[in-house]
Amino acid sequence: MTCKTGKTNTGLVAGIVIAVAIILSIVSVVRYDATGEMGNGLSIEYQYDISEYGKIPLEMIIYQQVGKPLPTGLKASHSIAFKDGIYVSGDKKVVKINNTGNIEKEITLESAPTCLAVDDEGVVIVGSDDTITIFDKSGTKRTQFVVPQKNAILSSIVLNEGLILCADAVNGLIYRYNQQGSLVNIIGQKDPQKEDHTGFVIPSPYFDIAMAADGLLRVVDPGRHEIIAFTLDGHREWTWGKTSPKVDGFSGCCNPVNMAILPDGSFVTAEKGLVRVKIHDADGQFVGVVAGPDQLEWQGPLVVCDAPEQFQSRGFDVAVDETGRIYILDTVKNVVRIFEKKQ
Amino acid sequence: MTQPNKPINRRDFLRDGLWGACFAGLAGTGAVLASKSSQQRFVWQIDPAKCTACGNCATFCVLQESAVKCVHAYQMCGYCDLCTGYYRPEPSALDTAAENQLCPRGAIIRTYVEDPYFQYTIDESLCNGCGKCVKGCAAFGNGSLFLQVRHDLCVNCNECAIAAACPAQAFKRVPADKPYLLKGQG
Repeated sequence: MTCKTGKTNTGLVAGIVIAVAIILSIVSVVRYDATGEMGNGLSIEYQYDISEYGKIPLEMIIYQQVGKPLPTGLKASHSIAFKDGIYVSGDKKVVKINNTGNIEKEITLESAPTCLAVDDEGVVIVGSDDTITIFDKSGTKRTQFVVPQKNAILSSIVLNEGLILCADAVNGLIYRYNQQGSLVNIIGQKDPQKEDHTGFVIPSPYFDIAMAADGLLRVVDPGRHEIIAFTLDGHREWTWGKTSPKVDGFSGCCNPVNMAILPDGSFVTAEKGLVRVKIHDADGQFVGVVAGPDQLEWQGPLVVCDAPEQFQSRGFDVAVDETGRIYILDTVKNVVRIFEKKQ
Repeated sequence: MTQPNKPINRRDFLRDGLWGACFAGLAGTGAVLASKSSQQRFVWQIDPAKCTACGNCATFCVLQESAVKCVHAYQMCGYCDLCTGYYRPEPSALDTAAENQLCPRGAIIRTYVEDPYFQYTIDESLCNGCGKCVKGCAAFGNGSLFLQVRHDLCVNCNECAIAAACPAQAFKRVPADKPYLLKGQG
């Protein structure tokens, strides 16, 4: 910079430099984020966002909620079944709730339940880790027996013509018992000699089974995102299921976590992570959505387990009744939501 | 032959007593200080039950490369083929191709165990503690990946810059002899 005499005006240059330095200092002090309120400053490749998969187009939602959610009255609801009323197991009890939310019956258990079934006569069968307990209609304990495998966690029970089928999520096996507690056979054993006897992949304790009207047992293989049809003597018939976070698939380590079969033979599946309840037809073709995160009032990020104790408890359970209504047990809010098909 | 005891006068008694009290006091003070210094040494650590894996650990640490790293609670892991802490939400294939990996730095190593199980280990030299894998694991899986301050790297600042920027107040002071808050050990 020169003045009229052509000499460099060093004083002016120094002044400008000092002024710029002061402005930069002020800006950096003002913009300094010591509390992290302005974000982490990481580029987009470091961001994790799956919320787009939780957004479900309204035209895909083919069910609607009926009434208000019914509180279970439990601190930790676990499983749901329907037979002339809603049965929910949790804490150390089983409660029967009517459609208006009143508790009609309560059965006290010796330990926390891990699965539940109710037969046509109102007999209640409860799994608690490796133990099955059968209560008669009045809630009186009738029988109790322990499954043969060590460290078993029974995650699902179904009833079929007087026999009890229960799924063991730790050992990946399904035991078939009569009501006296005698083991009839075991389904799903891994056999390296047989190509289709690959066993199940069960990363977390969700391993559900359901009996279909065609007489075949349906078993969720959550690690492979498949539902497999088995004969009751253990022959694997066919599978369906697609791995994808999109609405027609199952994703994550282990989904679906629970399922139920509607009177028309179609499947109701509940997923964790991307909290969704969906319908697939009897052949496994995607039909529509019962409820997504918005309908299930899921708040906050789509996370299944922040804390170690949560990874066994946040999968929603589903049950159906003879009219096709779907009952969703919200294991986080401890409520039951009832859904009906839209007209 | 025994010598007769020398009589102690009051002045000697007081002087010796005072010296004795001084030594006892010094010894006691030293012992208390020593025990306090070992008991009261604290270091920074992340409470995994509170951590939201917000990403601030990667950028707020005073070190050039954050002292916070992802760690893995193997006893909680499902050893999944489709690990959502390792893979992007829609991987084109379940292989080790970079475009399928969730970690921008490729800091997770996938190792085949047996069909269909895989083990995932963290290469801490590559991990910057951003927590992206932690979110992926918690979103669908068992939450076995989580963040911890590594004390071989942490300089244990009195005012930890990450603690100040932690939106979940997950940073806490823990005794130096128990410096980690691990998942799956309860």
